[in-house]
Amino acid sequence: MAILEIKHVSKFFGGLAANADVSFELEQGMIMGLIGPNGAGKTTLFNCITGYYPPSKGEVIFNGRRMNGLQPDKVCKLGMARTWQKVRPLAKLSVLDNVMVGALCRTNSLKTASDLAMEQLKVVRMEDKARFLAGGLPIGERKKLEVARVLATQPQMLLLDEVMGGLNPAESDEIIQLILDIKGRGITQMVIEHDMKAIMRISDRIVVLNSGEKLAEGNPQEIVSNPEVIAAYLGQD
Amino acid sequence: MSTLKKLSADISGSSAVTVVAGLAVCAGLCIVPFFVQNPYLLHIMILIFLSTIMGESWNILGGYTGQYSVGHAAYFGTGAYATMMMLQFRQVAPWYGVWVGLAAALVVALVIGSICFRLRGPYFVLASIAVAEILRLCTLNLPSLTNGAEGILATGLPPFTIGGTVITDFSTKIPFYYIGLALAPLTILVTWLVQHSKLGYFFQAIREDQDAAHSLGISLTLYKNIALVISAMLTSLAGSFYAIYVGFVDPPTVMALDISVQIVLICIIGGIGTIFGPVIGSLVLVPLSEALRSNLIASLIFKTGLVSPDSKFGGFLNDNLAHAHALIYGILVVIVILFMPEGVLGFLKKLAVKRKGGEA
Ligand SMILES: Nc1ncnc2c1ncn2[C@@H]1O[C@H](COP(=O)(O)OP(=O)(O)OP(=O)(O)O)[C@@H](O)[C@H]1O
Ligand SMILES: [Mg+2]
Repeated sequence: MAILEIKHVSKFFGGLAANADVSFELEQGMIMGLIGPNGAGKTTLFNCITGYYPPSKGEVIFNGRRMNGLQPDKVCKLGMARTWQKVRPLAKLSVLDNVMVGALCRTNSLKTASDLAMEQLKVVRMEDKARFLAGGLPIGERKKLEVARVLATQPQMLLLDEVMGGLNPAESDEIIQLILDIKGRGITQMVIEHDMKAIMRISDRIVVLNSGEKLAEGNPQEIVSNPEVIAAYLGQD
Repeated sequence: MSTLKKLSADISGSSAVTVVAGLAVCAGLCIVPFFVQNPYLLHIMILIFLSTIMGESWNILGGYTGQYSVGHAAYFGTGAYATMMMLQFRQVAPWYGVWVGLAAALVVALVIGSICFRLRGPYFVLASIAVAEILRLCTLNLPSLTNGAEGILATGLPPFTIGGTVITDFSTKIPFYYIGLALAPLTILVTWLVQHSKLGYFFQAIREDQDAAHSLGISLTLYKNIALVISAMLTSLAGSFYAIYVGFVDPPTVMALDISVQIVLICIIGGIGTIFGPVIGSLVLVPLSEALRSNLIASLIFKTGLVSPDSKFGGFLNDNLAHAHALIYGILVVIVILFMPEGVLGFLKKLAVKRKGGEA
């Protein structure tokens, strides 16, 4: 069953079509890779899906429910959580408190939230950093904090926007393993990433965006052998 | 470096020591009037209590939620006017009038919130100033309701009785001292409760990053309005207290912009977004402004013997330092802000962290 359906979504900024008539479906429990050159409209699509702004045209359907016009907090409550490409730590709060904010989305008890948050910190192997201020973390740990925080909202679906961006190979490997672990828990994921090797390894399906339009969709093998994709995107490197 | 960060996160946590120390201070303050009857000293203490209430109230919206309202005179004035109007026009005792003030502040807050929370950052600040000014102008220009520019003078407070026994007739400053001593810890307690609940987490998340908070399931409109309502109602309580203490309200003394600025300063000086910041801010600002107002500086200079009050320069100091108090006050505030950007409390905390970090 499709957990997420994107139907003819377009987003215009003035004259610019950051997303143009994008459609695809995502099956429950799968990982979808979303790739494309810089400025292709990947983050914009995440923003449209999660209610940061409404799509100019088209529909976003999550679990059979039309999401257009819902505010981000409502979207999160309905089980869809996203991370930010430009990380947004709550700088003056401790790492644990950051994750607790996510956990408090589903509970009123600080104790429950704290336990749940600690669990998520263990998942990203940051339990020893719990009492550090989030603002002082290096980039690799900030990215992991983003993931722990959204996991604490107990989502059915995660949208990860370049969680490997700016990380060294060892840190990236850790994130890849983390994404696969999350998949093991049955959480559906949509992952934006520039690292081709990583995206090929983790994705069940891949959607390629180019200048706002969907250029191709398929499994990793289909994508790497698609001449249009090679021309428009892979060929550039 | 990392130990430094860890420690500063540790220190911001609550501790039993603080609670015990706080209770001890309150107990000590309870017996002060048995030893101190000097009305001027009691007056200063009352002003410190009042300032603490105002600072703590603003802190919930400004310090914890990051919504820098520079229009809190609106709620202060609402509380002050509501209590005075009930007292003078309806013969309702202030301890009932206060509730009218609280209800009015709630309504005013929701109206102002619905306007100002559409905006973020500096635009929110400007809107909060504008809306408070509108309320001041309304108060000024509706004399049939508010007595306009003339203001309202209390012709006397009814004695406070419990079961027929007169507890106090408000003939001295002592009852006001105890009212302040009850209300100031109350606002501190409210702040503590907020900080140690889901509300506190959500408020601070909104302060740190609105979009991140929003995406983590926090309704910005709902929680900003909750913060505003708590903040506004406590501020109105301060206004009611001020009104019955001074016995007079008019738009410039309870609704003007400089009250809003004063409220913000208490927190900036003490330390924004901390439980005891406003207390520290009040302990610094109230004595400072009183000292400058009463020309303490000139008399101190004369005491050192460097300048004689009878000399030409002495006369100049005597005349001008009194009038310059606003200027000197402003300069001192700027100095504190420049050298202690996180307030006195933040500055002390940093010192403590450095000490501990050095030992570790
Ligand atoms: N709020 C906005 N207002 C105007 N233009 C925008 C806005 N957000 C994005 N754009 C434009 O839309 C296009 C798509 O941007 P988007 O951030 O979605 O790209 P992306 O695929 O995420 O790129 P990257 O890989 O660099 O993150 C870009 O041309 C960008 O300049
Ligand atoms: Mg992007």
